[in-house]
Amino acid sequence: MDLTAPLLRAAAARPHILLVATPGGTAARLAAERQLRLDGLPLAPTPADAGILLVAGPDCPALRPALDRLWQHMPAPRARAQARTPEAVADAVARCRIELAARPAPGPASAPPSDGTEPPGGLPMAETAPDRDGLSLDQLHLSLGPFLADWPSGVTVRLTLQGDVIQQAEMGEQPATRGTAPFWAEPWARAAAGERVGAGEAARRRAAAHLDSLGRLLALAGWAHAATTARRLRDDLLDGAATGALRPAVRRFARRVARSRTLHWLTRGTGVLGADEARAAGVSGPAARAGGDVAARYRTWLAAVVRDVERLADPAPLDAAYDEGPRGRGDAGQPPSEALLRVLPGLLEGAELAAARLIVASLDPDPDELAAAAREVASRG
Amino acid sequence: MVEAAGWWPVLVAPALLLAGAVLAVAGDAMLAARYAGRPARAAVAAVPLLEVARLLAQQPRTLPKADRLLWRLGVVTVPVAAVLSVLVIPFGHRAVADLSVGVVWFNAMEVLTWAGLWLAGWGPNAAFSLIGGYRFVAQGLAYELPLMFALISPATAAQSLGVGDIAEAQQGLWFAVWMPVAFAGYLAGVLAFAFLGPFGYPAGRDTAAGVLGETAGVDRLLLQAGRWLWLTSGAAMAVPLFLGGAAGPGVPGWAWSALKTLLVLAVLVWSLRRLPVLRADRYAEFAWVVLVPLTIAQALVPALVVLDR
Repeated sequence: MDLTAPLLRAAAARPHILLVATPGGTAARLAAERQLRLDGLPLAPTPADAGILLVAGPDCPALRPALDRLWQHMPAPRARAQARTPEAVADAVARCRIELAARPAPGPASAPPSDGTEPPGGLPMAETAPDRDGLSLDQLHLSLGPFLADWPSGVTVRLTLQGDVIQQAEMGEQPATRGTAPFWAEPWARAAAGERVGAGEAARRRAAAHLDSLGRLLALAGWAHAATTARRLRDDLLDGAATGALRPAVRRFARRVARSRTLHWLTRGTGVLGADEARAAGVSGPAARAGGDVAARYRTWLAAVVRDVERLADPAPLDAAYDEGPRGRGDAGQPPSEALLRVLPGLLEGAELAAARLIVASLDPDPDELAAAAREVASRG
Repeated sequence: MVEAAGWWPVLVAPALLLAGAVLAVAGDAMLAARYAGRPARAAVAAVPLLEVARLLAQQPRTLPKADRLLWRLGVVTVPVAAVLSVLVIPFGHRAVADLSVGVVWFNAMEVLTWAGLWLAGWGPNAAFSLIGGYRFVAQGLAYELPLMFALISPATAAQSLGVGDIAEAQQGLWFAVWMPVAFAGYLAGVLAFAFLGPFGYPAGRDTAAGVLGETAGVDRLLLQAGRWLWLTSGAAMAVPLFLGGAAGPGVPGWAWSALKTLLVLAVLVWSLRRLPVLRADRYAEFAWVVLVPLTIAQALVPALVVLDR
């Protein structure tokens, strides 16, 4: 009796999906996250867990090797597709599922081929160096990015660890892509170009951006229920729901998260960025206003979301000097996310590895903005 | 009276445990669907079966220079220890083996998962996986002592380490009622050794699923099954320890055992998505400064009552 075919069909009924957004692909990512949530298809946190690799966003030549590495690490049966635009998502997922169900029996297990850049054995040998107490301890080098679940895609941080304490953090090169304006900062870009943009529209985009950031932070903190709620509210906002319909749910969500003593207890004292220090580094927006730790930053987001939801119907024109973008003001052609990356190594050094991802998520630099900035640098140089 | 009956419970006990775990996964999927704004259709109940099919069809993973022997050993240990732990838990008035040291047996099987999970983290030769393994050890240092004191409290009150004796000693008043701290400490311990929900730190998203991050196919199936089997086993053990065992009016003992187990399981599953993951470094501080003294004080209560009797 051949059991393989029905087994593969059952497996294709609920594949886990590794969703990877390329810089400039925020709109496609949002469409994909929304569809997968409504279809009940789980997002895989690692390639080992995934059956489908779904790339959301435009091509990015610099990131192609990293994408191929993810693909090599996925176990068979597997399928791969790219959705360059939000409209292409449904089709890409459907195609992959058909391919998964039809695939012949998986071949023999094999190790992913080495691309020559990895040291033998997959892990570098540990070296020793003096730690902060003057003891000689093993050092481990570990790269975060360019692709991780709930991570600003394209960003790479090279860490030197001793135990679970980060001794050194270095930012990698930012990949440039061809693409459109950053999705989250779009109303501000249009206003800067002289177009008339309503303050209500900008508030809607900003609230959705903060909820997107909150969804990422809460997912990393392992609070599944709150993360799902943040993403549902984000999708409702982008669908154009009115203030009256959103108010009760947003308030309930903001109250529950802001008052959670557990979340506060887990995040307080991590990644402290004082207001003066932030302004000196060119950081504006919520990170500068919060002037504190991870907990202060997510509470600032929550307060901003509650405020913005009240202003969704505001017909006044957007005044960019008063109404900042979701990540702050872009001064002198520099997007605000760039300043966030600048302060990042300083915040990571001395932190524990468990706090590192939370610190990055609490600043949440926007890969779209970074890619656009890298594009300008490349064209200038 | 708990009796050890024939050979057939050896087959029935693991089957019941598996059924409980399948119900728990289906319940969790149902809650996930509700929170995500999908209608909770009956199809959601098929999620555990689809997951099993998916993982059986998936290619297992091999990594360069992996320690395959220890990796497999660790992965197998987790579900096997969970199944072995139920041997001493009475269902109705029957247990596979009502050992005179049943509580110690349960605890010993639970500590086996320490070794199993650490090996599962060590085996793949990958940084995040190893970190996941160490995280479980760190978490173990935090939850184990309060859990042990929580287990000792009902044993002290019953003046026996046999699970059947403990269930019987609760004629009249459940231990959960006059040992609430021990009961709460025990339930937290169950979530912790199942490393699910708020105690999912070893498989945390911040380390790319940690100890689960490099496993695929059957390996992942065994580890995931181990988590849910442990959750179910922990829920089943709570019944004789704290909830009066199979005692109850009207229906037969096995029905009371099943009902109470499912209720505890439902509470545990409900709690999974309601709290952030507790970082072991912060939880350890709380466990040692608050939970250990509290559970010791709790263990003192039945000790004094027994002395006075």
